[in-house]
Amino acid sequence: MTQFFQQLINGLSIGSVYAMMAVGYSLVYSIMNFSNFAHGGVIMLGAYFGFFSMTLIKLPFAAAFGLAAVGTAALAVLIERIAYKPLRDRKAPFLYFIISAMGASIFLENIVIATIGPTFRTYPQVFSRTPISIGGLSIGRLDLIMFGVSALCLVALVLFIERTKTGKAIRAASYNMKAAALMGVDTDRVVMTVFAIGGLLAGVAGVFFGMKYTVYPQIGNITLKSFVAAVFGGLGSLPGAVLGSVILGTLETFVAGYLSSQFRDLIAFVILIGVLVFRPTGIMGKPSEDKA
Amino acid sequence: MLTVTDLHVSYGGIRALKGVSLTVNQGEIVTIIGANGAGKSTLLNTISGFLKPIAGELRYRDKVLPRKPDRVVKAGICHVPEGRLVFANLSVEDNLLMGAYLRHDRDGMAADMEKVFTLFPRLKERLAQSAGTLSGGEQQMLAMGRALMTNGDLVLMDEPSLGLAPLLVQTVFDIIREIRALGKTILLVEQNAYKALDVADRAYILEQGHIVREGAAAAIKADPAVRAAYLGTDSKAGG
Ligand SMILES: Nc1ncnc2c1ncn2[C@@H]1O[C@H](COP(=O)(O)OP(=O)(O)OP(=O)(O)O)[C@@H](O)[C@H]1O
Ligand SMILES: [Mg+2]
Repeated sequence: MTQFFQQLINGLSIGSVYAMMAVGYSLVYSIMNFSNFAHGGVIMLGAYFGFFSMTLIKLPFAAAFGLAAVGTAALAVLIERIAYKPLRDRKAPFLYFIISAMGASIFLENIVIATIGPTFRTYPQVFSRTPISIGGLSIGRLDLIMFGVSALCLVALVLFIERTKTGKAIRAASYNMKAAALMGVDTDRVVMTVFAIGGLLAGVAGVFFGMKYTVYPQIGNITLKSFVAAVFGGLGSLPGAVLGSVILGTLETFVAGYLSSQFRDLIAFVILIGVLVFRPTGIMGKPSEDKA
Repeated sequence: MLTVTDLHVSYGGIRALKGVSLTVNQGEIVTIIGANGAGKSTLLNTISGFLKPIAGELRYRDKVLPRKPDRVVKAGICHVPEGRLVFANLSVEDNLLMGAYLRHDRDGMAADMEKVFTLFPRLKERLAQSAGTLSGGEQQMLAMGRALMTNGDLVLMDEPSLGLAPLLVQTVFDIIREIRALGKTILLVEQNAYKALDVADRAYILEQGHIVREGAAAAIKADPAVRAAYLGTDSKAGG
């Protein structure tokens, strides 16, 4: 039983990091109706930003964290400007966006390999490796912090989307971009805001990911699992992205714990195919809308 | 108030407007009638900044009209689009508040909200309801109410009677009169030529991207040639 709860906590912790990545996919999808595969590259660079802020610039953890998040937010906005805005202006078909996203993703991975190199790097140890024991369970300090910070970020995101005027504009634009513009919403700014938010959370997630595992140029591929989680939850839905991520994180932790870690990643893609076959809109997919 | 001069607009290679000129004066209801594909929506979308003209000029209140939709709203032009486009994922109240997106005058917003409720009492009863669950007629009212919340002086309306039951069609045209009585100027695009000419002061007839007739609505309505082409005995009401 203890092992069960132990796994559950680990699962929730990694699931919450997936959730921070998944909402980035979902937010962009809800506004622009395409899967932004460059997001994985942004997460990867977040891990590097955090790593070098701590090792090279020797910033304290919290500052490195902040710098990584701001850096990835800026990067995400920059990618939008260069890779997507020209397509938006030309009202290009969605396939072009996906191709552009893949191009950006390959570019980011290779520019890192070419400049920083393909080696695996390990974050300096920030939190003591001795776990905290609570009621007979021993919980890793990093896991606990990952879960706490992720939950906090996600709550902040929900409040922003639900309660602020900009959040309402994002929801309006996600339903219909043209109608939002007719209300006086600057849709360019909405797109920029969405990329900045996605990038911010990608930075946080990237640092955690790097700390939990290691930093290397192909991290982006692993973050595809959070994309799977977003599809599973229903692309375009924020609660769906969070729920899908938590389920995926928990599931794969249990698979690794009770079966074998060999099967861990397999599970994610079995889920993806299963969802696509049996429930293409995911758990909470946004109702299909007639685009004007 | 609004002056359009020799406007040319194309979609890729396809020319949709071929030198359209028109004016709308303060306080008027001006209608543009024309068949499917004549270019009516293209004209309104160009005024609203969604399409870039290849030639021609748009002036509003003696200034060149900005070429971005949000700036056009700011300049004082609101647009009730073809197909309504209400935010189905937001409540009726949030839809109306989205109309006031650029405004900060709380008192003015509250006053305009009351005006909207006077025009459309149904919306008040359904404030908390999701806009996606409204009937077609209610959605049209919401689209109009939302546009009024921008407090623009010039209201562009794209086929507001489209797809509504005959009884509601009459209501919509009554409401257009009431909106003018609030001090608004209206540019109305319609396929329901008969009703549109009834409510309008002046009219333009658009055919394949050209203005082929213009004049007082009453005169156009009385013209036998127009009657034959647009107001035939079996004139399609609503569409
Ligand atoms: N997005 C587009 N791409 C290409 N051609 C378009 C597009 N939108 C409209 N057109 C073409 O431009 C012309 C004018 O279209 P528009 O929608 O302005 O007509 P309309 O008068 O509003 O018609 P309706 O009464 O059916 O709404 C049509 O020939 C149409 O096929
Ligand atoms: Mg039209």
